Amino acid sequence: MSHREITVTVNGAVRTATVEPRRTLADFLRQDLGLTATHLGCEHGVCGACTVLLDGDTVRSCLALAVHADGHEVTTVEGIAEPGEMHPVQSALWESGAFQCGFCTPGFVMTIYGLEQDARAGRPCPRSRTEIREELSGNICRCSGYQAIVDGAEAALTAATATATTTTEGAR
Amino acid sequence: MSSSVMGGFVGARVKRREDVRILTGTGRYIDDVQERGTLTCHFVRSTVAHARLVGMDVAAAREVEGVVAVITGEEMAALTNPLNLGAPIPNLLSPTYTALATGKVRYVGEPVALVVASDRYVAEDAAGLIEVEYETLPPVVTSEQALAEGAPLLFDDVPGNVIHTGEIEHGDIDAAFAEADHVLTDRIDQHRWGCAPMEGRGGVATFDRSTGMLTYEASTQTTHLLRLLLSGFINQPINLMRVVTSDIGGSFGLKFSIYREDVALCAAAKHLGASLKWVEDRNENLTAAGAARDESVTIEAAVKADGTLLGFRVGMVMNNGAYPIMPPAPVVTNIAGYMLPGPYRLPAYRFSSTVACTNKASYISLRGPWAVETLIRERMMDMIAREVGISPVEVRKRNLVPVTEQPVTSGAGFVMEGVTASETFDRLVEMIDLDEIRAEQERARAEGRLLGFGMGTFYEPAPGTPEFWGLIGFPFSHEPVRLRIEPDGKVTAFTTQVPHGQGHETTLAQVIADEMGVAYDDVRIVFGDTDATVFTMIGTGGSKAGMMATGGAMVAAREVRRRVLDIAAHMLEANPDDLQIQDSVISVKGAPASKVALAELAMGCYMAPGMMPQGVDLDLEATVKYDGENGGWGQGSHACWIEVDQETGRIGVTRYLVVEDCGRIINPSVVDGQVIGGVAMGLGGMLLEHSAYGDDGQYLAGTFMDYLMPSAPEVPEIEIVHLEYETTTMVGSRGVGEGGTVLAPAALLNALDDAFAQVGGKRITATPLTPTKVLGALGVIDG
Ligand code: FES
Ligand code: FES
Repeated sequence: MSHREITVTVNGAVRTATVEPRRTLADFLRQDLGLTATHLGCEHGVCGACTVLLDGDTVRSCLALAVHADGHEVTTVEGIAEPGEMHPVQSALWESGAFQCGFCTPGFVMTIYGLEQDARAGRPCPRSRTEIREELSGNICRCSGYQAIVDGAEAALTAATATATTTTEGAR
Repeated sequence: MSSSVMGGFVGARVKRREDVRILTGTGRYIDDVQERGTLTCHFVRSTVAHARLVGMDVAAAREVEGVVAVITGEEMAALTNPLNLGAPIPNLLSPTYTALATGKVRYVGEPVALVVASDRYVAEDAAGLIEVEYETLPPVVTSEQALAEGAPLLFDDVPGNVIHTGEIEHGDIDAAFAEADHVLTDRIDQHRWGCAPMEGRGGVATFDRSTGMLTYEASTQTTHLLRLLLSGFINQPINLMRVVTSDIGGSFGLKFSIYREDVALCAAAKHLGASLKWVEDRNENLTAAGAARDESVTIEAAVKADGTLLGFRVGMVMNNGAYPIMPPAPVVTNIAGYMLPGPYRLPAYRFSSTVACTNKASYISLRGPWAVETLIRERMMDMIAREVGISPVEVRKRNLVPVTEQPVTSGAGFVMEGVTASETFDRLVEMIDLDEIRAEQERARAEGRLLGFGMGTFYEPAPGTPEFWGLIGFPFSHEPVRLRIEPDGKVTAFTTQVPHGQGHETTLAQVIADEMGVAYDDVRIVFGDTDATVFTMIGTGGSKAGMMATGGAMVAAREVRRRVLDIAAHMLEANPDDLQIQDSVISVKGAPASKVALAELAMGCYMAPGMMPQGVDLDLEATVKYDGENGGWGQGSHACWIEVDQETGRIGVTRYLVVEDCGRIINPSVVDGQVIGGVAMGLGGMLLEHSAYGDDGQYLAGTFMDYLMPSAPEVPEIEIVHLEYETTTMVGSRGVGEGGTVLAPAALLNALDDAFAQVGGKRITATPLTPTKVLGALGVIDG
């Protein structure tokens, strides 16, 4: 099988690698770069455990190929906070006791982080618990029953929306 | 709560320490083990349900660049001993089998060969080149087919495909039926559904040629049992065998057993002198890992005119799939049999069970594996209510045994004590207004909408009693904990629990911090390494941690604390009874100036024992076992509100209420998480999930697009009330992990029956509760 050289900015660092065109983005991140936070729960695009950001949009890295990311920016759970610290989304989920086994967690963190970025930027984002549940429907958690995840997401989005308002007011 | 605050950790909503690594993605799940030089394994699996294996051509696969080995069933059989996982259970015909199939295959997904390669892509490429020749045999898919006269036999040494039968009888059952005013009958065919943890099975086996040591890092909930059985199956001296676990991405009973993949992987690692990794993909998990439930139960109830129970006559048939694994199915049918009378007064009872083997993947334990007993009993209680013309509340009240009237002999003949199902039910009833529910249903019907309401109550062995487990024929066991004060006064405790989401690192540390008088942050819990922890057969499972491991931690902490106080008593010239430990300082009560730091005392014991008080135990490490006293029972009552869409057949759960009693709560977040997650699993299992097979034994649900898992919008907000009735055991807590999954299906099914009853619909007798079945029952479509 032929190989291709790709250059991807992962969590702010430029990484170059030679990969088979069929190699998934998830395998590239996990195995070639050793970034094991991104998990594989189904490898067919249903569970959301492998969610990462590609140029700021949430994507399923089990369905994307590494070559798709050539020349683009990827953000994973390892990249949203400084080592040893937590992003406000992570803190909110910790406060609410959102997770149990933690296997689905990175995918949820990235999905909620994506929503939180929208909220911060003043873009539309889910407000009610029902809307939050709809937004989270692409991620499966077998352990938690979702309620505490929704609690954490709600807290994080409320805080981010407040920040967005303050910023807008500050700018005025 | 801040973890530097001293004391009072038990009962507090302490944030889980596991979550730091979980949220930052720094956990170590099995596929995160990426040591250099590790080879990847892929299993070639049977594509047919039942066949003779007549040939296999692996030559082309062996030629693929990067392939290190291809091992066939016969070759593997030479490296391993025959597997038999049911041997110690009396009256169980447990057939012996090989790690990879030889001679015959008996389910779709059964491993027939193992490919070892440098990379998973290569291993799968090579597997695609392997040609397996099957001579198909007639498949036996359902229990009925298995038990039919002249059915094809799966194993030569299992006549009639029956691997176990059991009987339980208590009281005069014939007299009960002779005396009855009403006799009611019901049957439920429960479908197969799976554990489907988000992380499947897997392991990394490393053989060290220089020492002969085999280390197996695995995603398992029972490290010591896995080590014990593995070493026997692959002829590895047990003292050269170590099983390790780190983070586990869920299990729910799946990772309790030892699987033939574990055996094959370890045998191959030893044979090749290499480090081998196998991580199950989702298709393998759904197809080959096994699934649960899959039982048919018929119940006849003898009842007085006022709804008082006189007797139950029950028959249960379990579809075991092809190969018995751990825990063997009779353990499950036995628990179901003994728990079926529930928390009710039941004078007479007869239960018989049959376990059949079929061409499906193995029956595995799933969160409250015996749950069908609650499903059928609670539905029967509602049927009785309707038959005698009382409410579902009244029928339960008339039969429940209040805790004040216990101890009492259960309907199945063992002592029932401290069971608060009656109390949780009363509390539930206080919170609902049945008249208003009925009025609302009428208003809704006037608008063309259909609402249903259902309830249920139950109790479960969490952990139960030695008497109960004696009847089951499964050890109640002791829970060992090793605990030591380190030279700097910090505490390390070693548990044989293998947490996979239950938060033991947090809850056990809470308990120990309070018992020892040290900060929560100064306690570390070590788990999952057979080289460090004490042997126990059962790791995590059956809600064992809540009471048994907590008790072990308490006994260990108390033992070490006693030693510390004895030493300090000499140092401070005081009576040990007058001493206290607070903030890691031992001081005389009422005279705080007279004190010694725990760190100072510990350093003395380790570094200068000659200068420490003599004649007292200076060993600050203790290994203890907690016997569980008389255990205890988890119990709960649930209420479920649904709306049935009469056009689409969709069942929407609109409200869900849980009153549960696990005694003293160690960490409310953890307990609520278990309850909510359990209910979600119970509802998902009944409404969406189905490990379906075709008539030919083909597996029909091999992806998450066919095997539907509940996602956030399908799960309602769940309201929980805790009773916290404390039993007289030292611990005061009982298990809470299974209850949601056991009881939710019953409450849901009763709600559905209730909805159907309003519009003259039929009752559903076979789950899952799919839209098609709902529309059939409503007469919208045929069925
Ligand atoms: S692993 Fe990518 S969606 Fe499940
Ligand atoms: S916490 Fe286990 S799958 Fe979500």
